[in-house]
Amino acid sequence: MSPPVYLDHAATTPVDPRVAAAMAECLTADGVFGNPASAGHVHGEAAFERVEAARAAVAAAVGADPQEVVFTSGATEADNLAIFGVAEHARPRGRHVVTARTEHKAVLDPCRELERRGWQVTYLAPDERGRVAPDRLAAALRADTVLVSLMHVNNEIGTVQDVAAFAAVCERHGGAWLHVDAAQSVGKVALDFHASGAALMSLSAHKSHGPKGVGALLLSRRHGVRIEPRQFGGGQERGLRSGTVATHQVVGMAAAFALAVAARPAEAIRLAALRERLWRGLEAHGGALRNGAPEDTVAAILNVSFADVEGESLLAAVAPRISVSTGSACTSASGEPSYVLRALGRDERLAEASLRFGLGRSTSAEDVDEAIAAVGAALSRLRRIGGGCAIAS
Amino acid sequence: MRYSELTRQYFERAPCAGTLAGPDVVSGVAGRRPLGTWVRFDLRIAPAAARGPQILEARFLAFGCPHTIAVAAWVAEQAAGRPASAELPQPVDALRRSFEVPVEKLGRLLVVEDAWRAATAAAAKK
Repeated sequence: MSPPVYLDHAATTPVDPRVAAAMAECLTADGVFGNPASAGHVHGEAAFERVEAARAAVAAAVGADPQEVVFTSGATEADNLAIFGVAEHARPRGRHVVTARTEHKAVLDPCRELERRGWQVTYLAPDERGRVAPDRLAAALRADTVLVSLMHVNNEIGTVQDVAAFAAVCERHGGAWLHVDAAQSVGKVALDFHASGAALMSLSAHKSHGPKGVGALLLSRRHGVRIEPRQFGGGQERGLRSGTVATHQVVGMAAAFALAVAARPAEAIRLAALRERLWRGLEAHGGALRNGAPEDTVAAILNVSFADVEGESLLAAVAPRISVSTGSACTSASGEPSYVLRALGRDERLAEASLRFGLGRSTSAEDVDEAIAAVGAALSRLRRIGGGCAIAS
Repeated sequence: MRYSELTRQYFERAPCAGTLAGPDVVSGVAGRRPLGTWVRFDLRIAPAAARGPQILEARFLAFGCPHTIAVAAWVAEQAAGRPASAELPQPVDALRRSFEVPVEKLGRLLVVEDAWRAATAAAAKK
């Protein structure tokens, strides 16, 4: 039996072999294995040079200056550093933060922690397509607002937010910095940190065929962003993120970003065609509802709810043939359905019975056709076992 | 979620899925689809014997998680030839262990049991 088709690229991607080769050069005794903080000997200097070259490459890929890049262990750490770092630094100016209900947990959970510490947080509601209206943001800002955290590309439904409009709102306000979680963005949409107007931006490597365990927080020099560190012990990354920088990880991130940015224009067109092929096939099975509008979403993500099936069973039924994510956040009885889909207005059952298809560099038309067939077979079987919708519940 | 081999087998095969019809068929339903779990058993009952009504065959329908479907399928498969008693072929706790159902899903097995009890109660009234 052939392995399932991988269609969960929004969760993570395989490391590109070219990226892995670049990383491998920084691991073993015959490579650049030194500690980049060890100044004064050849091994340390060589590692330092690789790290700084990686910093420059990451910055170039996202329209930032190298001095604005702080390497972290991933986007979750970058989000935490941004939110708590700004909160700690800006506390004398105010204790109010604005975010959205559809943010990643890496943003929502730190915001909830701030609330536990006495801060006030406003959670903006998106429209039914997943978009956050800039005028809603403007209405939510207060004199004591110090931070706005809104994502660029939604990880569940792929909606691309108008970051520049958010930045303009924050600029007019004058006191609130805009932090953007751009973990899903690189390689999927054009990303220019300076042009976006954001003050802080979180990045992840492993969504773009880079390694897990590395990301970055960008801190805008134009905005004069200052944050308090969360981690101490060595003073690396200008004292903002202590700990030995993992040379092979940041080199991998830089290589992955360069490849993703170069491939993006052609990939966006190719994946958009595959996504629409997938949607047409799924729609033909009946009872399929698209979450998010195609004109607002990245080409690599398609999220669909299916009527008259239970979410966990749907995922289990398709799993032997395709690897996808479900809107069922937890498969236990106490688990909540996707809060993102609930925020869009989907009812609990439809939010739970949803599949997120994450297309990627390796996805082919044959993969898409297999997904259509696998979902069709699962729907047919589960709807038959469930008695369809004709039987009263 | 990881499923036990038994759960996977019964979820994938779902033996006895479907419905029965006829004057000798009784049904029992429990749960609600909007709440995520709904189960129905149809039992074909033999004419009353000395030991009470006997089940000739059983079918089930289930809207729910793989554990719910697997356990309902197993119960329906085991039913033929048994007396139509309120007791499941195995107690709920034993079923939970056999199918390695997480304890937080116990409520879903109780829906299976409620549907079974409703069906056997209907058999007792025939």
